Amino acid sequence: MSSEKLHANIPPGPIADKWSGFKANCKLVSPANKRKHTVIVVGTGLAGGAAAASLGELGYNVLNFCIQDSPRRAHSVAAQGGINAAKNYQNDGDSIHRLFYDTVKGGDFRAREANVHRLAELSVNIIDQCVAQGVPFAREYGGTLANRSFGGAQVSRTFYARGQTGQQLLLGAYGQLMRQVDAGRVKLFARREMLDLVLVDGVARGIICRNLVTGEIESYAADAVIVATGGYSTVFFLSTNAVNCNATAAWRCYKRGAYFANPCFTQIHPTCLPQMGETQSKLTLMSESLRNDGRVWVPKTKGDKRAPNEIPEAERDYFLERRYPAFGNLVPRDIASRAAKAICDEGRGVGSTGYSVYLDFADAIKRLGQPVIKERYGNLFAMYEEISADDPYHTPMRIYPAPHYTMGGLWVDYNLMSTIPGLHVLGEANFSDHGANRLGASALMQGLADGYFVIPYTIGDYLANQKPAKVGTDHEAFRSAVAGVKEQTNRLLAVKGEKTVRDYHWELGRILWDNVGMGRNAKGLTQSISDIQALREDFWKNVKVGGSGEDFNKSLEFAGRVADFFELGELMARDALVRNESCGGHFREEFQTPEGEALRDDENFCHVAAWEYQGEGKEPMRHQEALTFEHVHLAQRSYK
Amino acid sequence: MSQIKPLKSTIGKKVIMAVSGILLMLFLIAHLAGNLTLFVSADTFNAYAHKLESLGPLLYVAEAGLLAVFLFHIIAAFQTYAEKRRARPDAYAVSASKKGPSKMTVASKSMIYTGIILLLFIPAHIWMFKFNAGTPHPTTELDGQEVKDIYTTVVNAFANPAVAFGYAGVMFLLGLHLRHGFWSALQSLGAMCPKWSPLIYAAGLLFALALAGGFFILPLYFYFCGAGSCAVSGGAL
Amino acid sequence: MKFNLKIWRQEGPTLPGRFADYTVDNIIPEMSFLEMLDALNEDLIKKGEEPVAFDSDCREGICGTCGLVIDGLAHGPKLACTTCEVRMRVFEDGCTITVEPFRAKAFPVIKDLVVDRTAFDRIIAKGGYVSENTGSAPDGNAIPVSKDIAEAAMDSAACIGCGACVAACPNASASLFVSAKISQFALLPQGHAERKSRATNMVGQMDDEGFGHCSNHAECEAACPKGISIENIARMRREYLKAI
Repeated sequence: MSSEKLHANIPPGPIADKWSGFKANCKLVSPANKRKHTVIVVGTGLAGGAAAASLGELGYNVLNFCIQDSPRRAHSVAAQGGINAAKNYQNDGDSIHRLFYDTVKGGDFRAREANVHRLAELSVNIIDQCVAQGVPFAREYGGTLANRSFGGAQVSRTFYARGQTGQQLLLGAYGQLMRQVDAGRVKLFARREMLDLVLVDGVARGIICRNLVTGEIESYAADAVIVATGGYSTVFFLSTNAVNCNATAAWRCYKRGAYFANPCFTQIHPTCLPQMGETQSKLTLMSESLRNDGRVWVPKTKGDKRAPNEIPEAERDYFLERRYPAFGNLVPRDIASRAAKAICDEGRGVGSTGYSVYLDFADAIKRLGQPVIKERYGNLFAMYEEISADDPYHTPMRIYPAPHYTMGGLWVDYNLMSTIPGLHVLGEANFSDHGANRLGASALMQGLADGYFVIPYTIGDYLANQKPAKVGTDHEAFRSAVAGVKEQTNRLLAVKGEKTVRDYHWELGRILWDNVGMGRNAKGLTQSISDIQALREDFWKNVKVGGSGEDFNKSLEFAGRVADFFELGELMARDALVRNESCGGHFREEFQTPEGEALRDDENFCHVAAWEYQGEGKEPMRHQEALTFEHVHLAQRSYK
Repeated sequence: MSQIKPLKSTIGKKVIMAVSGILLMLFLIAHLAGNLTLFVSADTFNAYAHKLESLGPLLYVAEAGLLAVFLFHIIAAFQTYAEKRRARPDAYAVSASKKGPSKMTVASKSMIYTGIILLLFIPAHIWMFKFNAGTPHPTTELDGQEVKDIYTTVVNAFANPAVAFGYAGVMFLLGLHLRHGFWSALQSLGAMCPKWSPLIYAAGLLFALALAGGFFILPLYFYFCGAGSCAVSGGAL
Repeated sequence: MKFNLKIWRQEGPTLPGRFADYTVDNIIPEMSFLEMLDALNEDLIKKGEEPVAFDSDCREGICGTCGLVIDGLAHGPKLACTTCEVRMRVFEDGCTITVEPFRAKAFPVIKDLVVDRTAFDRIIAKGGYVSENTGSAPDGNAIPVSKDIAEAAMDSAACIGCGACVAACPNASASLFVSAKISQFALLPQGHAERKSRATNMVGQMDDEGFGHCSNHAECEAACPKGISIENIARMRREYLKAI
């Protein structure tokens, strides 16, 4: 059903003028009034950090929260490959329109055109901004910025800083944030976990946090709340995300009435190190840039146990190059991941588990020489060798897909505001720009666009229109939220069962990976919903948390997050079950072309599915925001 | 904003250490050059000593300057050490070095100890040779002039095995001090770059070997060879 | 594999700490050091004992959250890696491993192996940036930066702020951390407008936080997971001396 709450608020006018039109017409807060407005920003990654810094610069009174001990450790730091921008410095035919087009198509036509166009426009400003901050991007000998082509793009528009682009961009934003902290405009609250959103008269007016050092439950009031807490890939337990990444902040917003959009759109990244054992805590991503020079292959015959270097060229199947001759090893992530899974399911996978494929650099080393390869990927090769004890200069790497990014997230309108007035959601935590699949080097772009360039305008417009009345943390809404958070903590500690939080998280992860992972079908999804419900019920009866609530207690932190993951996991399965089509990262085995490619159903599913919480134990309600494609025409994606 | 107090900053203190250290190294070079005349002949050495003494008030100025440099070096050293104790109040149960690019050695870790021993050694050294342990120096005739025969003072002192070996031992510690001190001084002044660092670090070792080696050999030479007898071969050193 | 562990336990910043002995069994060589500690904690929780508190996040060596002193070495025995990247295969089966927190007055212990490194944030707040308001930037290619300079700046910028330099330094000096940031902006033209105030303010804050002097042991460079060179410290000193 369509909902009146799901009004995207897209500005009028031609697509290329929508954002400038918005900026020209939005309401402004006068400089004298800005400091009277308090804005809460939860998260200090590219989106949250950039937002807090920019809002501080503008003169707002910003309260900034993160679960890490320092804002510099937000998980954006781990992004390796690069950041896209339609600069066309390489004169290879790039433009804002082409980046827009590629992103909409790459997202398999499930993103909002107006948002994506704005993103492409802003990409250009981001690079300028970051260069001015002293981000040490790679350079050409002439001193100009270097670019490379990256996963699924036919132009070189990716800017990078070795294999540490996310780190360098984040440190740029972190520096700006700390500058505002020093100036007294941003107050920093590290080691705080947001555990509830506080609504007063239906408007987001504050948050409840747990101080992760003392265990104290703290309340903070503001005129608007920005949530930029990243994605939920750790719902799978094993993912490329940091172990503390979680969905709790976003999930508590959902339970307060913010709609959750497209939860089933998760991205499985093709180039990760394969799993080695049950004691593993995470999977390590190898930058997708490796696919620029590496060739993916498996033996042609099943069960070929020879060492890779002993398998002659003629007996190798370079399956990506074979299936997708135009894009070869550079097909988008969802396609590359699925192809690897299909090959392994056929029994042609390599390694001890049979669940990995080779990524071979022998040809690139022959063509370019080892020093060039070392310069491009030295740190990645070192990382691989450290973990696997294999030398990728001489033996092909072994890779396998792993959960990496979640396109789904809290629903937001064009202004990045959720269905709860005053609650804004930025970066990976929202659903807006990547549709059903995110292209490489686009996440950093989106996080920074949201934080540096979108929210400073849209939040001003919101505050100028709303003129929120003063609310203090002594308001009844805060007191009851605090009581609710304490009640949950006590409940978790009181169970005193037999199984650890990790045991449950691991089991949940297996259910999701097997049924709501790369290949999904109605039977598995239905089964997984009841499996998750049963596991969740058992969790609340038999979990063993240990420690106390008034202390530094990792086990308790994780328990709260896993409790939310059960509910989120179930919603992912529900969303996947209803979406009777395959698109992007969502691949329903029942809906594929004869060649095994994703088969979209634009007739029935060309929309955003946004779920509304209905209360404990009740089925959530599914709403739809229809998507229209006026500039990029709906077409079956083809990378052949 | 913290006020800028360059001399109180950690960097400023290390600059004081470095500059005073470099001046002390220059002094040691001059001192050793003078001492090496011991190998030439008694007269050469006594002439050199006499020349220094005849500088009169100028010598006092030089000595006062040297003392000041010493004091700067010592105060900065003790402050650094106190700071280190403050900065790490609880020691590790296990301590080790990762090797690799680390330059943490016995020399670098014992700077304060070798320094303290040198500090205790210097007054004894001055008492022994400048004041001949409180008794007047023997005298000798040089170019028809009566001068102090410090050469004999030296020879007599090093005839005593405790003195000779004690001296040599302290000079070994001086070598350790210089091994880290030479390159550390340059690094503290910011004079390092990747191209030169390995060279300077190696030069530090050569410098320590040459300087401390010279001082080290002297007492042993006089203990084993006595006065005059090996002077010619010793002069070739 | 089986290991005996001597782990520092400390309930809070002001409480005294002590070593406790544990044994872990069935450790596979591919496990990371932190996964080994995870396994220990799972055991402890099941036994109803207090798990060992330690910090970690990305577990791939880039976030800088983890940091333990293993047998007297910050981030363990291997060069150029973080604690989370240390694999158990580097230890001898059956050996005893001593695990301590990073020790420095400026890094007070929060609990067990968790320390407070917010001193680093306060140092960065004094100048670890180019003062550049959002929206005021010229075109990215307006200022050319030679490849050599960009690479050198990247070498310095690679710092992950883990604090191993402080932990490994016999004097608990933060010079490598501070100098890496000062160097990045001393090398790049974007940083030149503020280079003097940056050097004096950041060094001033470093001293105020109670870090020790740099005595040029270079142990920090050996402990640094990103191999940041003490050449940066020399550059910081030049910047500071030029600024005063």
